[in-house]
Amino acid sequence: MTRDHTVIEGLMAVDALGGLDGDDRALLERERGSHGTGCAECALLEMGFAETAGRLGFALVAEPVDDAIVDRILGASEGSSASEAALGSPQPPRDELEERRGRRPRVWLAAAAAVAAVVAIAVVAAGTVMPSTTSVQATTSQRLVVFTGETEGTLAMAFTPGEPGAVFWGGDLPDPGAGKVYEIWMIEGDEAVSGGCVSPTDGVVAVRVEASIGTTDTMAVTAEPSDCPSTPSSDPLLTADLTTMV
Amino acid sequence: MSQATLERIAPMDMGDLSEARDRDLMARLRRGDEEAFRGLFHRYAPTAKALAQRVVRQSHLAEEIVQEAFMAVWRDPGSYDGERGSVRSWLMGMVHHRAVDLVRREEAHRRRAEAAIPQAIEEQADHADDVVQQLGLPEERRIVRAALADLPGEQRDVLELMYFDGLSQSQIAEKTGIPLGTVKSRTMLGMRRMRDMLAEVER
Repeated sequence: MTRDHTVIEGLMAVDALGGLDGDDRALLERERGSHGTGCAECALLEMGFAETAGRLGFALVAEPVDDAIVDRILGASEGSSASEAALGSPQPPRDELEERRGRRPRVWLAAAAAVAAVVAIAVVAAGTVMPSTTSVQATTSQRLVVFTGETEGTLAMAFTPGEPGAVFWGGDLPDPGAGKVYEIWMIEGDEAVSGGCVSPTDGVVAVRVEASIGTTDTMAVTAEPSDCPSTPSSDPLLTADLTTMV
Repeated sequence: MSQATLERIAPMDMGDLSEARDRDLMARLRRGDEEAFRGLFHRYAPTAKALAQRVVRQSHLAEEIVQEAFMAVWRDPGSYDGERGSVRSWLMGMVHHRAVDLVRREEAHRRRAEAAIPQAIEEQADHADDVVQQLGLPEERRIVRAALADLPGEQRDVLELMYFDGLSQSQIAEKTGIPLGTVKSRTMLGMRRMRDMLAEVER
């Protein structure tokens, strides 16, 4: 028989809005205990209400915030290494950082070796520190990868491992410049293959690339002449490391 | 490998893209990336301040809450669990909890300042629209406001008193004269409906 969740649902709804008080606080804890930690429906209810409550705040008109706050936060952290260590420092181990910084430029160096006519790309990329890429599982089988880099805007790629084709979406992307387009590159080992060129419309890009990216190490985007060359001629504006995907 | 072909498709739901971008920022934040932290701050601090200010009714206290919440994010980004919801709701939840805690501690002080801040959401001047316009947040505001407007009035009133004014269920019952049980049931029904409407928009 399915257990009735009405009581705990009501308590969780109020709790998500911060309105729980009196004996109901204790009642919610008792209900949680009686449903048990493995209560999947309880978890779904709680997450759903927390998500809903969090979004309510966006009904409000944003208020200007003093930019100095962010500097104070970062400054306070730098000046309190002891307390930061006690809280759990967000800084990764040094060798991990170095490893991350070193890996992707090496991929570009390898790619550039294969396209020796274009030296600039390797030189510039070697001096570029690029944050690593995050991937999230979009559905059971699909992956969503967000590109990172110095360029403003967002570019993401969705694909299904083992299946041909990938879909790219971008927003708030700057114009690549007069006579230029964005070119998507698939890097595998020391080989860079064009995934095609695209120009954003009002900063938005939405294209499907008909190619397999199953063995691709890195995806990259460069600004290229509008004839969409078969080898990159500039440094990468955005990259996505597929080797660290979960 | 041969050169691939491109096919233009319909634009992706920007909400999905926005959340993917937030998760990327959080992943970089875990590695101590200051630029990622600045990005997250500029993206959400203005709305977080609006929420805190709405609850505590004082701008300087709201900024303190925002600073405290983002400090917690910077120091312990691992506290965000992507399995449990979106980055934006997690951040706003942290801010809201702090704001409600504060008003519960300083109830009398808050009420004295109540008249200083405009009450109705619709009446507020849009000081930072030029900022949030770039971030895609006005669309989120439109969606949430539309969902709120779709609620039956008695449910919306209870949700707004509880969330935006920081009142507990008992305080709402006392203030409005509505039985406590009715406050609870309206809250649950309103939250169910909001959750379902917001989820429907995402599909």
